Amino acid sequence: MAIEGADLIKAAAFLGAGISMGLGAIGPGVGEGMVAAKACEAIGKNPKEAGLLTRTMLVGQAVSESTGIYSLVIALLLLFVV
Amino acid sequence: MMEWEPQIWVRAAAFFGGGLCIGLGAIGAAIGEGYTASVANESMARNPSQSNVVLKDMLVGQAVAESAAIFALVVAMILLFSSFSNPSWLTAAAIIGAALSMGFGAIGAGIGSGFPAGEACRGTVRQPAVANKLMTNMLIGAAVCQTPSIFALVVSFILLYTDFSAMPVWPAWAALVGAGLATGLAAIGSGLGGGTTAQASVEGIARRPESASSVTVVMLLGQAVVQSPAIFGLLISFILLFGTYEANSSLAPAMALLSAGLCVGFGAIGPAIGGGEVGRNGVRWVARNPGAGQVITRIMLVGMAVSQSTVIYAMVISLVLIYVV
Amino acid sequence: MVFNLDVILMTWISIALLLILGIFSVRKKSLVPHSVQVLGELFVRQFASLTEDALDKELGRKYAPMITALFMFLLVSNWLGAIPHMSEPTRDLNTPLSLGFMGFVIAHYAGIKAKGFRGYAREYFQPFPFMMPLNLIGEIAKVISISFRLFGNIMGGSIIVLVVSHLIFSLILPPFLVAFFSLFIGTIQAFVFTMLTIVYIAVQVK
Repeated sequence: MAIEGADLIKAAAFLGAGISMGLGAIGPGVGEGMVAAKACEAIGKNPKEAGLLTRTMLVGQAVSESTGIYSLVIALLLLFVV
Repeated sequence: MMEWEPQIWVRAAAFFGGGLCIGLGAIGAAIGEGYTASVANESMARNPSQSNVVLKDMLVGQAVAESAAIFALVVAMILLFSSFSNPSWLTAAAIIGAALSMGFGAIGAGIGSGFPAGEACRGTVRQPAVANKLMTNMLIGAAVCQTPSIFALVVSFILLYTDFSAMPVWPAWAALVGAGLATGLAAIGSGLGGGTTAQASVEGIARRPESASSVTVVMLLGQAVVQSPAIFGLLISFILLFGTYEANSSLAPAMALLSAGLCVGFGAIGPAIGGGEVGRNGVRWVARNPGAGQVITRIMLVGMAVSQSTVIYAMVISLVLIYVV
Repeated sequence: MVFNLDVILMTWISIALLLILGIFSVRKKSLVPHSVQVLGELFVRQFASLTEDALDKELGRKYAPMITALFMFLLVSNWLGAIPHMSEPTRDLNTPLSLGFMGFVIAHYAGIKAKGFRGYAREYFQPFPFMMPLNLIGEIAKVISISFRLFGNIMGGSIIVLVVSHLIFSLILPPFLVAFFSLFIGTIQAFVFTMLTIVYIAVQVK
């Protein structure tokens, strides 16, 4: 079976897109989980501040999710632009 | 080499897959059971008078943790001893896919169900009066924690017993291997996460036995949400398994399908482990501070849901890889 | 243009069920509520307090009816799959995607109204101006994540029920599978979708 250059490049781009998004999703997932875990603990210790803690948790999660979004952008670039 | 009969390749794939399946599948249960035994020893040393009850807890917990490895053993045995009628190249791919699915799929559930079992031993020593409650809760938690490995078993049975001969070999082989990888890898995280959640609930009941019923409910809620990355992996697997493919001998379409499986598989590991951490702290603090139970449960669910967004991006990329490109 | 008549029919069925519940729960209102009225009051009170917790009092009152309706619609939709010969409207991607888009529009409308257009637009250039495209993608990704979460769970659940029932020749297990995936996971995911819609509004307003 003969593999052409263009075909190989496309194949590598697809594989790269999947791996970039797949591996890129691991870190933010664990990190956001830690944020939420500590938020649960904090609310358990001080339920009165639930509103403030929820908001802080969401902002923290949004920031730690940004690397996941970078992976998403790279995956989409690999799929449609490159 | 390519001139060899498909028969030979299928045999080779079955032997290779059988080894891979039980080799990977044994990792998790061994770690989980080892953890249980170590905690059991530690607990016995603290309070030797309870050693009978602790021994019983340990053995029951280990038996549950073992079930994922037994699934892997079953699949490996089937691979070694069944004669595949009408073998084709795709049968070989399906065998490898089935082996990867069950092998990876057993890791998380095996490690995960070791956690509640160990915690039950510890709790029994602290609070001998509620040993039965702890045992029940541990069994529920560890059983739910096995769900991802059951998903992996379902996918590997489908791969082994469905007739794929109507599909074109190229690119469908990649879809079959990808389907195995998607469910198998996705099950790792969910098994682990479900285990950490169950561990916290056993710990919580040992601390405050009167909160047992509410803690069990919150544990089940948490575990159900932790399962969703595994469900996403399963969804992609089924889409890959029952899709229709046009024969195309170039490399790119095949790699797109394989990559779809890898993407959602890897992507599901992290969010599920993170969700397990959320579940652990959520359940723990529901047990310690029942007055704030409702608020904590709500935050736990929202936190888990938000931390799952990356696996959803991975699922979207997988769907794009399957349908669009 | 293709119309998914099945999905539209199922959506209308769940709307009809909700309307029937609504009519019966406000008919013959009394101070000592009858059983259907209790159910209606339970939903309304729970979600009103939930919304007021997350937003403030005034905004909470404004959005509570929408949030309650959203939850009840999702709940009935997810439960429809438990009835034979019916399918969840949420199993089709169009339903969660349009509900997610609705939440997106409402959240951003609330944000512009609360902070003014300048204040709203300035948020996109935080922390650095060149982060604007990524912030924009992050906002769009929220719609994707909220709707695909619901779709993936419901679709995955119903496929699991179908395939596992087929594998075990529909013996014993299917009712339990339906109870778990359709009723339990359906309820949780309906709640999560609703909570996230509230949270997205709260993040935009604050």
